[in-house]
Amino acid sequence: MKTLAAWLLWLWMSLVIIGAFFYAPLAKGFIGESSRILFFHVPMAWSSFLGFIAAAVWSALYLIKRDFKHDRAAVAAIELGLLFGVLATVTGALWARIMWGAYWNWDPRQTSILISLLFYGAYLALRGAVDDREARARLAAAYALLGMVVTPFLFWIVPRITYSLHPEPVVNAQGKTEMEARMQHVLYASTLGFTALFFWMHNLQHRLLALWERKSAPLE
Amino acid sequence: MESGGLGWIVAVNLIIWTGIFLYLLRLGRKVREMEKEP
Repeated sequence: MKTLAAWLLWLWMSLVIIGAFFYAPLAKGFIGESSRILFFHVPMAWSSFLGFIAAAVWSALYLIKRDFKHDRAAVAAIELGLLFGVLATVTGALWARIMWGAYWNWDPRQTSILISLLFYGAYLALRGAVDDREARARLAAAYALLGMVVTPFLFWIVPRITYSLHPEPVVNAQGKTEMEARMQHVLYASTLGFTALFFWMHNLQHRLLALWERKSAPLE
Repeated sequence: MESGGLGWIVAVNLIIWTGIFLYLLRLGRKVREMEKEP
Protein backbone atom coordinates (compact mmCIF):
# COMPACT_ATOMS: atom_id res chain seq x y z
CA MET A 1 0.00 0.00 0.00
CA LYS A 2 1.32 3.43 -0.88
CA THR A 3 2.41 5.43 2.14
CA LEU A 4 -0.16 8.20 1.59
CA ALA A 5 -3.01 5.68 1.38
CA ALA A 6 -1.71 4.02 4.54
CA TRP A 7 -1.71 7.32 6.43
CA LEU A 8 -5.24 8.04 5.16
CA LEU A 9 -6.26 4.68 6.61
CA TRP A 10 -4.62 5.64 9.91
CA LEU A 11 -6.62 8.88 9.95
CA TRP A 12 -9.83 7.09 8.93
CA MET A 13 -9.59 4.46 11.65
CA SER A 14 -8.58 7.06 14.24
CA LEU A 15 -11.76 8.98 13.41
CA VAL A 16 -13.73 5.72 13.67
CA ILE A 17 -12.33 5.15 17.18
CA ILE A 18 -13.21 8.70 18.24
CA GLY A 19 -16.64 8.42 16.56
CA ALA A 20 -17.39 5.10 18.26
CA PHE A 21 -17.07 6.75 21.68
CA PHE A 22 -18.03 10.39 21.17
CA TYR A 23 -20.31 10.53 18.10
CA ALA A 24 -22.40 7.33 18.16
CA PRO A 25 -25.11 7.06 20.83
CA LEU A 26 -25.52 4.05 23.08
CA ALA A 27 -27.88 1.33 21.83
CA LYS A 28 -31.01 0.74 23.88
CA GLY A 29 -31.22 -2.39 26.03
CA PHE A 30 -27.48 -2.80 26.57
CA ILE A 31 -25.68 -2.60 29.91
CA GLY A 32 -23.49 0.47 30.31
CA GLU A 33 -21.25 1.28 27.36
CA SER A 34 -21.14 -2.31 26.13
CA SER A 35 -22.93 -1.58 22.85
CA ARG A 36 -19.87 0.35 21.61
CA ILE A 37 -18.04 -2.93 21.08
CA LEU A 38 -20.34 -3.37 18.06
CA PHE A 39 -18.23 -0.90 16.05
CA PHE A 40 -15.21 -3.20 16.27
CA HIS A 41 -16.72 -6.65 16.79
CA VAL A 42 -18.94 -6.62 13.68
CA PRO A 43 -16.21 -5.34 11.27
CA MET A 44 -13.83 -7.98 12.68
CA ALA A 45 -16.41 -10.71 11.98
CA TRP A 46 -16.94 -9.20 8.51
CA SER A 47 -13.16 -9.23 7.81
CA SER A 48 -13.04 -12.87 8.88
CA PHE A 49 -15.90 -13.72 6.50
CA LEU A 50 -14.23 -11.72 3.73
CA GLY A 51 -10.97 -13.63 4.24
CA PHE A 52 -12.65 -17.02 4.00
CA ILE A 53 -14.69 -16.12 0.91
CA ALA A 54 -11.69 -14.46 -0.79
CA ALA A 55 -9.68 -17.61 -0.07
CA ALA A 56 -12.33 -19.70 -1.84
CA VAL A 57 -12.15 -17.41 -4.88
CA TRP A 58 -8.32 -17.55 -5.00
CA SER A 59 -8.47 -21.32 -4.54
CA ALA A 60 -10.81 -21.62 -7.53
CA LEU A 61 -8.38 -19.46 -9.52
CA TYR A 62 -5.53 -21.75 -8.50
CA LEU A 63 -7.44 -24.84 -9.66
CA ILE A 64 -8.14 -23.16 -13.01
CA LYS A 65 -4.75 -21.54 -13.68
CA ARG A 66 -2.38 -23.63 -11.52
CA ASP A 67 -0.41 -20.52 -10.60
CA PHE A 68 1.10 -20.71 -7.09
CA LYS A 69 0.52 -17.01 -6.50
CA HIS A 70 -3.20 -17.80 -6.16
CA ASP A 71 -2.39 -20.56 -3.67
CA ARG A 72 -0.34 -18.10 -1.62
CA ALA A 73 -3.14 -15.54 -1.79
CA ALA A 74 -5.61 -18.16 -0.49
CA VAL A 75 -3.36 -19.14 2.45
CA ALA A 76 -2.78 -15.50 3.39
CA ALA A 77 -6.55 -14.83 3.25
CA ILE A 78 -7.34 -17.80 5.49
CA GLU A 79 -4.63 -16.86 7.99
CA LEU A 80 -6.08 -13.37 8.22
CA GLY A 81 -9.62 -14.74 8.33
CA LEU A 82 -8.59 -16.80 11.35
CA LEU A 83 -6.91 -13.80 12.98
CA PHE A 84 -9.98 -11.59 12.59
CA GLY A 85 -12.24 -14.52 13.55
CA VAL A 86 -10.38 -14.99 16.82
CA LEU A 87 -10.57 -11.23 17.49
CA ALA A 88 -14.33 -11.26 16.79
CA THR A 89 -14.75 -14.24 19.12
CA VAL A 90 -12.75 -12.59 21.92
CA THR A 91 -14.58 -9.25 21.63
CA GLY A 92 -17.88 -11.16 21.50
CA ALA A 93 -16.95 -13.12 24.63
CA LEU A 94 -16.05 -9.91 26.50
CA TRP A 95 -19.43 -8.46 25.55
CA ALA A 96 -21.19 -11.73 26.52
CA ARG A 97 -19.58 -11.54 29.96
CA ILE A 98 -21.20 -8.14 30.51
CA MET A 99 -24.60 -8.92 28.97
CA TRP A 100 -25.09 -12.64 29.60
CA GLY A 101 -22.90 -13.11 32.68
CA ALA A 102 -20.46 -15.60 31.13
CA TYR A 103 -17.76 -15.42 28.47
CA TRP A 104 -18.99 -18.56 26.71
CA ASN A 105 -22.64 -19.66 26.47
CA TRP A 106 -22.75 -21.99 23.44
CA ASP A 107 -25.04 -19.50 21.77
CA PRO A 108 -25.58 -20.39 18.05
CA ARG A 109 -23.44 -17.37 17.07
CA GLN A 110 -20.59 -18.42 19.31
CA THR A 111 -20.86 -22.05 18.25
CA SER A 112 -20.99 -21.27 14.52
CA ILE A 113 -17.90 -19.03 14.61
CA LEU A 114 -16.06 -21.67 16.66
CA ILE A 115 -16.89 -24.29 14.01
CA SER A 116 -15.64 -21.88 11.30
CA LEU A 117 -12.37 -21.39 13.16
CA LEU A 118 -11.94 -25.15 13.57
CA PHE A 119 -12.79 -25.70 9.89
CA TYR A 120 -10.10 -23.26 8.75
CA GLY A 121 -7.65 -24.38 11.43
CA ALA A 122 -7.98 -27.82 9.81
CA TYR A 123 -7.11 -26.19 6.47
CA LEU A 124 -3.73 -25.15 7.88
CA ALA A 125 -3.26 -28.61 9.41
CA LEU A 126 -4.02 -30.16 6.01
CA ARG A 127 -1.38 -27.99 4.36
CA GLY A 128 1.13 -28.97 7.01
CA ALA A 129 0.49 -32.66 6.41
CA VAL A 130 1.31 -32.71 2.67
CA ASP A 131 4.93 -32.35 1.58
CA ASP A 132 4.53 -32.15 -2.18
CA ARG A 133 3.94 -28.51 -3.11
CA GLU A 134 1.61 -29.16 -6.02
CA ALA A 135 -0.47 -31.78 -4.19
CA ARG A 136 -0.65 -29.52 -1.13
CA ALA A 137 -1.91 -26.57 -3.17
CA ARG A 138 -4.45 -28.70 -5.06
CA LEU A 139 -5.88 -30.38 -1.94
CA ALA A 140 -5.95 -27.14 0.04
CA ALA A 141 -7.70 -25.35 -2.83
CA ALA A 142 -10.42 -28.02 -2.99
CA TYR A 143 -10.88 -27.77 0.78
CA ALA A 144 -11.04 -23.96 0.76
CA LEU A 145 -13.60 -24.09 -2.08
CA LEU A 146 -15.82 -26.12 0.22
CA GLY A 147 -15.69 -23.07 2.48
CA MET A 148 -17.76 -21.24 -0.14
CA VAL A 149 -20.70 -23.31 1.15
CA VAL A 150 -19.69 -23.71 4.79
CA THR A 151 -18.83 -20.07 5.53
CA PRO A 152 -22.07 -18.36 4.35
CA PHE A 153 -24.04 -21.11 6.10
CA LEU A 154 -22.25 -20.56 9.42
CA PHE A 155 -21.98 -16.76 9.26
CA TRP A 156 -25.31 -15.82 7.68
CA ILE A 157 -27.82 -18.66 7.78
CA VAL A 158 -27.36 -20.40 11.16
CA PRO A 159 -27.73 -17.16 13.20
CA ARG A 160 -30.92 -16.30 11.29
CA ILE A 161 -32.70 -19.65 11.55
CA THR A 162 -31.95 -20.52 15.17
CA TYR A 163 -33.06 -18.93 18.43
CA SER A 164 -30.23 -16.85 19.79
CA LEU A 165 -29.61 -14.40 22.61
CA HIS A 166 -27.31 -12.52 20.26
CA PRO A 167 -28.62 -9.10 19.18
CA GLU A 168 -30.33 -9.03 15.80
CA PRO A 169 -27.87 -8.96 12.90
CA VAL A 170 -27.09 -5.53 11.42
CA VAL A 171 -29.08 -6.57 8.34
CA ASN A 172 -32.00 -8.48 9.84
CA ALA A 173 -33.99 -11.41 8.43
CA GLN A 174 -36.28 -8.92 6.66
CA GLY A 175 -33.28 -7.36 4.93
CA LYS A 176 -33.59 -4.13 6.96
CA THR A 177 -31.16 -2.26 9.20
CA GLU A 178 -32.90 -0.95 12.29
CA MET A 179 -30.16 1.11 13.89
CA GLU A 180 -29.81 4.74 14.83
CA ALA A 181 -28.32 6.77 11.92
CA ARG A 182 -25.17 7.88 13.77
CA MET A 183 -24.47 4.31 14.82
CA GLN A 184 -24.80 3.25 11.19
CA HIS A 185 -22.31 5.95 10.09
CA VAL A 186 -19.66 4.71 12.51
CA LEU A 187 -20.35 1.04 11.84
CA TYR A 188 -20.11 1.38 8.05
CA ALA A 189 -17.02 3.60 8.30
CA SER A 190 -15.41 1.03 10.59
CA THR A 191 -16.32 -1.83 8.25
CA LEU A 192 -14.78 0.06 5.33
CA GLY A 193 -11.63 0.75 7.36
CA PHE A 194 -11.32 -2.87 8.47
CA THR A 195 -11.79 -4.02 4.86
CA ALA A 196 -8.92 -1.76 3.73
CA LEU A 197 -6.82 -2.99 6.67
CA PHE A 198 -7.56 -6.58 5.66
CA PHE A 199 -6.36 -6.04 2.09
CA TRP A 200 -3.25 -4.17 3.25
CA MET A 201 -2.33 -6.98 5.64
CA HIS A 202 -3.17 -9.53 2.96
CA ASN A 203 -0.85 -7.85 0.50
CA LEU A 204 2.00 -7.93 3.05
CA GLN A 205 1.38 -11.54 4.07
CA HIS A 206 1.11 -12.65 0.42
CA ARG A 207 4.47 -11.04 -0.38
CA LEU A 208 6.07 -12.48 2.77
CA LEU A 209 4.94 -15.97 1.75
CA ALA A 210 6.46 -15.42 -1.72
CA LEU A 211 9.75 -14.34 -0.12
CA TRP A 212 9.69 -17.32 2.23
CA GLU A 213 9.12 -19.68 -0.72
CA ARG A 214 11.96 -18.04 -2.64
CA LYS A 215 14.35 -18.38 0.30
CA SER A 216 13.41 -21.97 1.09
CA ALA A 217 13.29 -23.14 -2.56
CA PRO A 218 16.97 -24.22 -2.79
CA LEU A 219 16.41 -26.56 0.17
CA GLU A 220 13.57 -28.45 -1.53
CA MET B 1 -19.58 6.57 32.09
CA GLU B 2 -18.10 10.05 32.40
CA SER B 3 -16.58 11.51 29.24
CA GLY B 4 -13.22 11.62 31.10
CA GLY B 5 -13.35 7.81 31.42
CA LEU B 6 -14.25 7.45 27.77
CA GLY B 7 -11.39 9.78 26.88
CA TRP B 8 -8.90 7.38 28.45
CA ILE B 9 -10.39 4.43 26.56
CA VAL B 10 -10.18 6.37 23.28
CA ALA B 11 -6.57 7.34 24.04
CA VAL B 12 -5.57 3.73 24.74
CA ASN B 13 -7.36 2.56 21.56
CA LEU B 14 -5.60 5.22 19.49
CA ILE B 15 -2.21 4.25 20.91
CA ILE B 16 -2.83 0.55 20.13
CA TRP B 17 -4.04 1.36 16.60
CA THR B 18 -1.08 3.66 15.95
CA GLY B 19 1.29 0.94 17.17
CA ILE B 20 -0.24 -1.65 14.82
CA PHE B 21 -0.19 0.88 11.99
CA LEU B 22 3.48 1.80 12.44
CA TYR B 23 4.40 -1.88 12.68
CA LEU B 24 2.64 -2.62 9.37
CA LEU B 25 4.26 0.40 7.73
CA ARG B 26 7.72 -0.79 8.86
CA LEU B 27 6.95 -4.35 7.76
CA GLY B 28 5.98 -3.02 4.31
CA ARG B 29 9.34 -1.22 4.03
CA LYS B 30 11.23 -4.36 5.10
CA VAL B 31 9.34 -6.52 2.59
CA ARG B 32 10.17 -4.04 -0.20
CA GLU B 33 13.86 -4.15 0.75
CA MET B 34 13.87 -7.96 0.84
CA GLU B 35 12.15 -8.13 -2.56
CA LYS B 36 14.99 -6.04 -4.04
CA GLU B 37 17.64 -8.43 -2.72
CA PRO B 38 18.98 -10.75 -5.44
